Amino acid sequence: MAEAAPLWAAVVLPFALAAAACCAASVDALLAASARCGPARGARDAVSRAATPLRATVRLFARRPRRTTAADTALTRLGAAVVPVAAVLACAVLPWGFTSVTDPTVGVVWFNAMEALAWAGVWLVGWGPNSTLSMIGGYRFLAQGLAYELPHMFALTTAALGAESLRVGDVVAAQSGLWFVVWMPVAFVVYLLSALGMSFWGPFGHPLGRDIASGVAVELGGVDRLLLLGGRWMLLVTTAGFSVPLFLGGGHGPLLPAWAWTLLKTGAVLALLVTARRVLPTARMDRYLEPAWMVLIPLTLAQALFVAVAVLDR
Amino acid sequence: MGVRSALLRYAARRPTVLAVALPGGTASRLAVEAELCRRGLPAADTPADADLLVVCGVPTHRDLPWLDRLGAAVPSPASRVVVPAAGRAADLLDTATSLLGTAPLAYRPAPSDDGEPETARRGDDRDGLRLDRLRLTLGPALPDWPAGLVLRLTLQGDLVQTAETDTRCAVGRVVLPAGRAPFWDEPALNAASGGSFVTRGQVARRCCAAHLDSAARLLAVTGCDTLAARCRRSRDTVLAGAPSARIVGELRATTRRVARSRTVRRALAGVGPLPRRRARAAGVTGPALVADGDSHDRLLVWMAEVERFGADLDDPRAPETGGGASGPRGVLDPARPPSAALLGVLPGLLAGVDFAAARIIVASLDPDLDELTSSPDRPETPHG
Repeated sequence: MAEAAPLWAAVVLPFALAAAACCAASVDALLAASARCGPARGARDAVSRAATPLRATVRLFARRPRRTTAADTALTRLGAAVVPVAAVLACAVLPWGFTSVTDPTVGVVWFNAMEALAWAGVWLVGWGPNSTLSMIGGYRFLAQGLAYELPHMFALTTAALGAESLRVGDVVAAQSGLWFVVWMPVAFVVYLLSALGMSFWGPFGHPLGRDIASGVAVELGGVDRLLLLGGRWMLLVTTAGFSVPLFLGGGHGPLLPAWAWTLLKTGAVLALLVTARRVLPTARMDRYLEPAWMVLIPLTLAQALFVAVAVLDR
Repeated sequence: MGVRSALLRYAARRPTVLAVALPGGTASRLAVEAELCRRGLPAADTPADADLLVVCGVPTHRDLPWLDRLGAAVPSPASRVVVPAAGRAADLLDTATSLLGTAPLAYRPAPSDDGEPETARRGDDRDGLRLDRLRLTLGPALPDWPAGLVLRLTLQGDLVQTAETDTRCAVGRVVLPAGRAPFWDEPALNAASGGSFVTRGQVARRCCAAHLDSAARLLAVTGCDTLAARCRRSRDTVLAGAPSARIVGELRATTRRVARSRTVRRALAGVGPLPRRRARAAGVTGPALVADGDSHDRLLVWMAEVERFGADLDDPRAPETGGGASGPRGVLDPARPPSAALLGVLPGLLAGVDFAAARIIVASLDPDLDELTSSPDRPETPHG
């Protein structure tokens, strides 16, 4: 059972999450720039490259959104705004050390529900502008959801099964001895894959692919674009952060205080995901759907079965 | 408004750039790409996200309508600049950027397109579903797209039902100055005509860079950004005239990485199969004929040729004569350039594939529409 954080934590949470997302985006911008233009020419150049996301934020704030013919503007804007909101709401059940903003008895289900909310957001943004390319992006996102959501839910279920509770605090408490990643490695790897899918980023960035001129975001300018793309980074940070209480023992660890362990583990998972993007190409769903269903679902089911037997045997 | 203009001025120092290439503007596009890299300016994928629209090449009256539509799709405040020749890239970008920062920030609402909503009759798709048919025009401006190509697609969902190519943007376009051959074919054509002395090394260098450029596009469309960036950097080094001895190792490392990548193979295998018999019947020559297979095979042929050309970038001998000139896309027949044949096989390959595969197929053939343009002293190429 995690302690409840003071009330001001709820106010700070969105800003903290946005700042963390900005840091992750900066690291990614550094890597992208050195791939595109070679290593940085001195410290100033490196700083300027790392400031790319900040500059983009300022720019998008100042620019006006774009309107298209016969668009459902309200739907598009709502969809774009839903993405960061879903990320913040999902983050509310994430324990910082052993303290979270809220720790409901169904925290794991809450987290998954917020992911579904983000789904709706991206699909609405693809549908709203009445533009073929953005709709193709929306279609791709739905196909992607079909591919990753089932293995993802089984991975979440496995962690809850190991703790015999859907409360995130209990899942962390159950790992005081042995971290779940040790005896649920398959669920952990599948969770990380689907975390990328859920934040439609990196190898799962096909809905915003360059081949459809940034797809879902093709007609978005200004603040709408900032909400969708910034929200995407926030989702990535949230999903990476949630792997820590689920599989990596939350705040448990020697020597350091609990909050530092959470920070360290989250940073490590994020670094892993951001680097993975440089290695893994974008997955096309017509190629990924089959392995997702034929390989990952049986694997996660077998993993869940193994955990269930182990729990019964305690 | 004070805060807003201050923010806009800050952002305008590093504008996001949407570069659009016109047929005959290849040299200018390459110069602009290199310049953007040097300044570290971000590239936009879509007009909705651009601050600066850079047109590479010389627009004609036929381009003005679509360039205007594209410009109107860029929300203000934005600026536009035309880079007619490679040598002007740096100073014109400077001018455009400085204008962005100081131009009066008129607050005009972003205009919307004037197209009618895009639905049409329903029809059966390949799975027997009744879905709306969408008409979609691709090009002439899209990221990683052959300059000047327009494809008219009928889509259901994201499946391409029918495709037709429209090359009016390039065919009959008179490219100045006189005597300018298509950028990628120039050394090979000069060597064949014997007009000016060209070495084997110069021909190899241009072909090598052409394949790296095509491969970078294909990889970018596939979603392999890191490898695509690597190919682009190698391309720029080759074009900058780096000596063969210094660059051959880097080229080999790049081509091997691309050729051995299992993820690239998995993404491209089976997409757009073009067997040799069918290719020959359509008059296709060059890498697409040699490949005798799918998009991945075509990429492998490019990589093999890059490695082969990379070894003789500095070969001072005169080129072999006889057998006609051969450019990066095939045999340079003045009556029917190789890209015309590539465009001929395109619609047949695109019918029935999904949108992502369609983009891959176009990029894996990478027709060069510069070959369809004409110059006052070159005979106008017939429409292929």
